[in-house]
Amino acid sequence: MGHHSTWPEWVYVGVVVALMCYVGAEAWNIERIIEHVPEDAELIKVTGQQWLWTFEHEDGTKEIGELHLEKGKAYHFEIYSKDVIHSFNIHDYVVLMDAVPGRVNTVWFSPDKAGEFDIQCREYCGLIHYNMRGTLIVEDKGA
Amino acid sequence: MKAIIGVGMVLALLVIVPSVELVMAAGDTPGEYLNRTEVIWSLFYRLMIIAFTVGIVVSGMIVWLVMRFRESNPKAKPTPYEKEGVW
Repeated sequence: MGHHSTWPEWVYVGVVVALMCYVGAEAWNIERIIEHVPEDAELIKVTGQQWLWTFEHEDGTKEIGELHLEKGKAYHFEIYSKDVIHSFNIHDYVVLMDAVPGRVNTVWFSPDKAGEFDIQCREYCGLIHYNMRGTLIVEDKGA
Repeated sequence: MKAIIGVGMVLALLVIVPSVELVMAAGDTPGEYLNRTEVIWSLFYRLMIIAFTVGIVVSGMIVWLVMRFRESNPKAKPTPYEKEGVW
C-alpha cells in the first residue's frame, strides 16, 4: 500500500464536493431572492379552514373562494389557519405555503398573466380536502 | 493566519458584499418584480442537471471499478496480500 498516486481520488472527491457546494449556494441564493418582499406589495390575509379559503384585502374587502387581483402588481400574503394544517397553493404561479394554526406564514408573488387560475389546498386536511379549492381571477389594470 | 484573514476579507469585499446587496435589492422597483415561476423552475432544472451529472459520475465510477477489478479481468493482478496468501 501507499505506492500508488491518490490524486485521481482527490479530484473525484473534489468535483463531487464542489458540485454539492454549488447546489447549496444556488438554492440558498434563490430562496433569499424569492423571500424578499417588494416594499409596495399589497397585503392580503388568507385564512384556511375546513374546507374553504377566505381572503381579506388591505381595504377590508373580503372574498370567499375567489380572489381578484390586478395584473402586474405585487401581493404579499399572510396565511392563517383556523383549524388544522392546510397549504395555500396557486399552481400556475408556483405559490405554495403552509397554513398552520397559531402561526402566520408569508409568501408573495406578482401575477403577470390575466385569466382564471386554480387555488387549492395542498395538504391533506380532512374529508373534503379534495374540494378545498378556489379561483384566482387576475384582471388587467383598470378592468 | 493573517494571510487567511486578509484573503477572506478581500473575498468578502469582492464577492459576498455585492451578492448580498444584489439579493437585498431584488424586486424593489415597482412594476419590475421577479418572475417566480421562471426563477423556481430554472433553479429546478439547473439542480437536476447537477444531480444527474453527479449520479452519472458516481455510478460510472462504480461500474468501472467493478469491471476493472473483477477477478476475471485479463488485466487483473493479485495484490501483494493475495500473492503471499497472508492477510
